[in-house]
Amino acid sequence: MPRKTKGAAKPGGFVQTTVEIEGRTETRIVEIPAFEPAAWGTDAELGIVGARVPRMDAPERVSGRARYTTDIVRPGMLHAAIVRSTIPRGTIRSLDASRARAMPGVLDVLGPGDAPAGTRLFGREIFYAGQPIAAVCAATGHAARSAAHAIAVEYDTLPFAVTFEDATAKDAPKVRAKGNVMENAPLVISRGDMDAGLKAADVIVRREYRTPVQLHTALEPHGAVAEWEGDRLTVWESTQGIFRVRENVSKALGISLSKVRVIKDYMGGGFGAKNGAGPHTYVAALFAKRQGRAVRCINDREAEQTDSGNRPSSTQRVTIGAKKDGTLTAIFASIDVPLGISGWEGGPGQIYHELYACPNVRTEETFAYVNASGMAAFRGPGYVEGAFGLESAMNALAKELKLDPVAFRVKNFAKREPRTDRPYSGNSLLQCYKEGAEVFGWSTNDQRPMTNDRLRVGKGMAAQVWPTGGGPPAYALVRMNSDATVDVLAGTQDLGTGARTVLSQIAAESLGAKLSDVRAIIGDTQSLPYTGNSWGSMTTASVGPAVRMAAEDARRQLFEAAGAMFDAAPDALEARDSRIVVRDTDRTMTFAEVTAKLGNVMIIGKGSRGPNPADTAIMTFGAQFAEVEVDLDTGIVRVLRIVAAHDAGRIINPTLAESQLEGGIIQGLGYALFEERVLDRRLGLVMNPTIHDYKIPTMADIPLIDAFFVAGADPVANHTGARGIAEPPMIPAAPAIAAAVSDAIGADVTEIPLTPWRVLAAIAAKARR
Amino acid sequence: MRLTVNGRVHTLDSALPLSLLELLRDRLALTGTKFVCGRGECGACTVQLDGETVYSCLTLAEACDGATVLTVEGLAPGGGEPSLSPLQRAFIAKDAAQCGFCTPGQLMAAHTLLARNPHPTDDEIRSGMSGNLCRCGTYPKILAAVRAVADGEFAGSAGSAEAGSAEAGSVNAA
Repeated sequence: MPRKTKGAAKPGGFVQTTVEIEGRTETRIVEIPAFEPAAWGTDAELGIVGARVPRMDAPERVSGRARYTTDIVRPGMLHAAIVRSTIPRGTIRSLDASRARAMPGVLDVLGPGDAPAGTRLFGREIFYAGQPIAAVCAATGHAARSAAHAIAVEYDTLPFAVTFEDATAKDAPKVRAKGNVMENAPLVISRGDMDAGLKAADVIVRREYRTPVQLHTALEPHGAVAEWEGDRLTVWESTQGIFRVRENVSKALGISLSKVRVIKDYMGGGFGAKNGAGPHTYVAALFAKRQGRAVRCINDREAEQTDSGNRPSSTQRVTIGAKKDGTLTAIFASIDVPLGISGWEGGPGQIYHELYACPNVRTEETFAYVNASGMAAFRGPGYVEGAFGLESAMNALAKELKLDPVAFRVKNFAKREPRTDRPYSGNSLLQCYKEGAEVFGWSTNDQRPMTNDRLRVGKGMAAQVWPTGGGPPAYALVRMNSDATVDVLAGTQDLGTGARTVLSQIAAESLGAKLSDVRAIIGDTQSLPYTGNSWGSMTTASVGPAVRMAAEDARRQLFEAAGAMFDAAPDALEARDSRIVVRDTDRTMTFAEVTAKLGNVMIIGKGSRGPNPADTAIMTFGAQFAEVEVDLDTGIVRVLRIVAAHDAGRIINPTLAESQLEGGIIQGLGYALFEERVLDRRLGLVMNPTIHDYKIPTMADIPLIDAFFVAGADPVANHTGARGIAEPPMIPAAPAIAAAVSDAIGADVTEIPLTPWRVLAAIAAKARR
Repeated sequence: MRLTVNGRVHTLDSALPLSLLELLRDRLALTGTKFVCGRGECGACTVQLDGETVYSCLTLAEACDGATVLTVEGLAPGGGEPSLSPLQRAFIAKDAAQCGFCTPGQLMAAHTLLARNPHPTDDEIRSGMSGNLCRCGTYPKILAAVRAVADGEFAGSAGSAEAGSAEAGSVNAA
């Protein structure tokens, strides 16, 4: 299929392209690659791409050899601990570090006024509980933490607001220096005519949905090790974006980009919270400079749970209407989001515009600042919250209309992306509905089985959309060593998603190399070419094409060298399993034989990610089906079964991709049933900052999960045919589970997590009616 | 104090005010065992102490005088791939590690579980492993891996060309 871009699309020239990141659209000027490999279409014959290859770095991960930031030890390394505010709002009257300084092993203290302005650290004004106010550096982690506790702080407290209602009340206290509400509120997105849409509806459903604050709870906390050599700084950081950390550190400390090197080898989870440098990074770098030694600063668990980002809560007032035959006529949502002290407008609204072909859609979102730690992207930001509102309302409306929820959705399937009226690069959502329903055994005509008087079984479903095209800039090199092993060099990150494996598969396929000869070298800003953050489910679709192009470039050079050795034309050669064959002959040579003859002459292929196709929506889709069992006496919900069918274009490695689906579903299950940060409205403090009190799913909570991909490849999206997959499976899980609970108890559920008391309250409310 | 870790005897200052986890990570440079919560809530620091599963973050080093400790580094005595244990090979083959941060603790919990109960039911695995949290959501794969080892799927030596081999060279099209 032709790939159209705006402007003169000549190799070497520059064009404008758009990239969607976490639901935001960014415009970029990018270079057209020197050549673009022909797209791998649906019928491309591929051997390594698409294979269930074991995760290539798994041996490191199962043997204890994988080195995470928290495991990094440098000669003479010191340790830092951060002191945090214990009040939500006020000013520091005094901070006395004399006792801390006198403690054994303590070397240095940073307090108010001691950090460069760019770090925005250690101001006297307090905006939330958990805000860094000072830091201690000591010979051991123990000494640093003990000394941090010994710092005496006196505050002058000020009134605060930690809820949306309190922050937007008429006489609300000043949450921060600027206003309590994001500028230009409410953020309105609208198409069609809402009044006409509601008038045209035969049935209208109105509901108010509430979602909780969810905490990332990555098991490896945020952390950094910093070390200076002269004016050059090296930072080991547990991050999803080494180049973004480099940029943050450079700006915050006022040193040039080229003097900062950021390294990330392995990391213990990110989920959106680790997209840049943080206080721990700057504290490590500042102490390292002052002490002339390497410094490690790792968040403790309480800091990780209270000040490392979160998915903000939301209240969504939804009005949704349809004709008797199920044709949607109006979708309206008025949405409140308390962001914390900082954040961006990645709100629940967008998915309301994107999932269905409804002519009249309007969302009004108000983002308020509150005296709590700021939000951060969290797996499917906005869409996860929005899907709970939209999909729950869709299920409620289907019930009113006496329509099957799947048939209702099929009826309102969007043939073009409805928010921006663009064609899709590919869309197999209908196939997801069909195959998911088949595998699940979906039929709403079933009698609801009743195990006994107490236990009720119910089922429900929900759908998902998420922009996953990825895009430039992203660069890669593919280097063939003189022993015929192959290095893929790209400055990207593997969060545990499998990027090393997937990129190696793409390179091996393109080059005709044995996968066991290929190694992906990633995670170092100094020695590797630029790629962007591993966010927005973008890595495979962004870096994958650059790797493929680099491998094709390396193969071209290899064939030219081998052609000279064979006395054959390069285009008469083929490669497979690290062996070159002259087509239609029995003449053959291994890669190792070619590289042995080349000696130290190296083959280095170069690749870059080309622009995205113009005016095309590139999205991943899916439908999930849930079966639950509810104990009517205790309100305890047990999820029995989840079936998930998703469309993400070509799947490079089904095993790893299915692991992503399961992981997203399980985080969605936690969001639906257990996970909720509790922030006391009167104290302004987090009441459950431990893993014991903030409940994430355990193995005992896991249902049978059958998660799979519908067949396909997306050669319009990019020439590998792959779209992103990490975030999408989290989006429909909670509304599907909530719909199943609603089905089981015969009452609406409008607020998650569905803890026992909320379920019992829903049952009691039904009994009162 | 004397402590045997992964078959090696260490003689250490008995006055160390450390947890067993700190002793392993900071003194013996065995960083495979992870610190996550420090209060026995997550299981990331799980090791085997005299045949029992313990949270090393809550175990005083001083109380381990004369004890025998097994950590993830000791599951594969050679450290390298050919000597990976059946459980480690099963974790690779079933894709039971995503970020891998909880994996050492999961492996040690599973190792002790299978040592005590070589043929657990799925529910016994779920219950036995529910003290080890995983945020990436690898639970279905961990269950599959432990199940496979219990069923003898990985009983052969690592060199055999079974599905669990991490050698990715011989790839068949899916």
